[in-house]
Amino acid sequence: MVDAPITRPRTRRDGQFDRLRDRETSMQGKAKRGGRFLGKFLSNRLALVGFVIFAIICLMSLFAPLLAQHDPMSPNLRAIAQPPSVEHWFGTDKTGRDIFARVLYGGRVSILVGLGSALLSALIGVIIGVYSGYVGGWLDWIAMRVSEIFMSFPQIILVLLLVAILGQSLLNLIVIFTLTGWGGIYRMARARMLSIREEEYVQALRSFGLGPARIAYKHMLPNALGPIMVNITLSTAAFILQEAGLSFLGLGVPLSIPTWGNILNAAQDLRVLEQNWWIWLPVGATISLFVLSVNFIGDGLRDATDPSQQG
Amino acid sequence: MLTYIAHRLLTLIPMVIVISFLIYLGLELTPGDAVSHMIPPDAYGSMDPDRLQELRESLGLGQPFFVRYWIWISGVVQGDFGYSLAGGVPIADIFLDRLPATLELSFAALLISTILGSILGTISALTRGSATDQGLTVVGMLGVSIPEFFFGLVAILVFAINLDWLPVGGRTLPGYDSFWDRLPNLVMPALVLSIMMTAGVMRYARSSMLDALSRDFIRTARSKGMPEWRVNILHGFRVALTPVIVLIGFRLPVLIGGSVIIEQVFQWPGIGKEFVSAVRSQDYPLVMMVALFSVLAVLIASLIVDLLTAIIDPRVRLGE
Repeated sequence: MVDAPITRPRTRRDGQFDRLRDRETSMQGKAKRGGRFLGKFLSNRLALVGFVIFAIICLMSLFAPLLAQHDPMSPNLRAIAQPPSVEHWFGTDKTGRDIFARVLYGGRVSILVGLGSALLSALIGVIIGVYSGYVGGWLDWIAMRVSEIFMSFPQIILVLLLVAILGQSLLNLIVIFTLTGWGGIYRMARARMLSIREEEYVQALRSFGLGPARIAYKHMLPNALGPIMVNITLSTAAFILQEAGLSFLGLGVPLSIPTWGNILNAAQDLRVLEQNWWIWLPVGATISLFVLSVNFIGDGLRDATDPSQQG
Repeated sequence: MLTYIAHRLLTLIPMVIVISFLIYLGLELTPGDAVSHMIPPDAYGSMDPDRLQELRESLGLGQPFFVRYWIWISGVVQGDFGYSLAGGVPIADIFLDRLPATLELSFAALLISTILGSILGTISALTRGSATDQGLTVVGMLGVSIPEFFFGLVAILVFAINLDWLPVGGRTLPGYDSFWDRLPNLVMPALVLSIMMTAGVMRYARSSMLDALSRDFIRTARSKGMPEWRVNILHGFRVALTPVIVLIGFRLPVLIGGSVIIEQVFQWPGIGKEFVSAVRSQDYPLVMMVALFSVLAVLIASLIVDLLTAIIDPRVRLGE
């Protein structure tokens, strides 16, 4: 630090000012070297941990028939509400079904609902958002109004309303989640398109005489893929939470199909809650762990794709 | 400012009309009509079709769809919400009965999450990059990842059953007169409901505070020799809080969504619990009204947020 020589006598203020300046410069250094580097390192490490947990749970569900020694559906009246043992790793439920097997098979359906609805709503949202964001005009106006209508409902109220109208089934649930979820990703894709619409390469393509669909989907969409990927992961997490909540209420996937939420449904009974912790605690922990891992992946993706989000 | 309010109202009203129409249309598509819900299924088959038709005519069900919609919506505007299919109770009475419980729970959760979230977010921003900050970030992540009802179940097991500190659920018992009597019943549902929102507010407050601290006026305040805590609290926190308050308005749908499930877990006698049982028993008139009113609540909240932002930030209203 080079200072102009002070010719007047130093005052108390000078000392105070020096201390302030020292503090500012030292904080700047820390922010650059320590904070950001450590933060980035840690967030990537969390994303990595998240990915490993995600992969383990997915693979275990996928290979459920190989891993589970029991059938998830068949009741065993000789082993009702047994605590965890060597035979039944997570114990059995009130009709003697093996909970470990149910958690594995349930994971298949829950992950299918979460991931499937997220991908479908992303597909719809991106197809509409990318085109209408680029072209604008009446198409854009209509799409915007429709999404506003969907988004003025609290999500769970709309979901339950549609459950009341369409009835309860696995397919209906995916359709309902897609209908309620496309708005968010549509808006994001549209906003992204609006911001890159006036860029020079787009104008160049237009002047070459390329059609709007080709410019929008082939040349502009790849530049919006980062936030879209982040959005897909985060909405997968949200849909899995919603499926669990709905099935817990008994209004999601029909109770005959094991899903994470349906297994938790048993815990509405206070006696089960109090006496048979193994029926609901491992499933709840599995859902939490899975959603946490997906959120970590989403955060890692965001940091990796969007430098402005760091800090 | 007046033109801005008028503009926002003009876009709001058609929205409400369209949504009410869609809700009515949706429930029109459900199997059965009011008559088939009023008569027990075993008696329905043996009834004379002409009598049924007569009953339909007398209830106005024979009229064209748009006429029926008009009758329904003009009734709603005048405060006639119709009757629940379960027991024929007027829906307005159900609302009056259940709404205070839901409002009590929601406001408690809103209060907790706003205070806790902005304090934790500020701490996180001030200690940016430290172990505290990263610990809080991970805790926040846990908060949005663990299903709220699972939190609720664990809380019931630990605090109500094992430790016996708080009641398992419910809101009032005979002999409860004042708010203080039922406060123990409120504590757990309100805390559990606030978790997800606290995590959201915390995350937002952190980035908002970081943004505020990087502004020039903070540097000016520091260079004046102001103590660090005064810089943070008087200048940083105050400026950072404004967008956080705006965020809370937008969080209303999340709050309503959360309370639907939490009311079920804690047997809290609010609108959400009523809504779930209405969906279960296919009580369509009630489902319809709850959906309509939740949309109204969301739209009005976003209107208020917009007006607040316009008051705070002149650029918003002048841009219109």
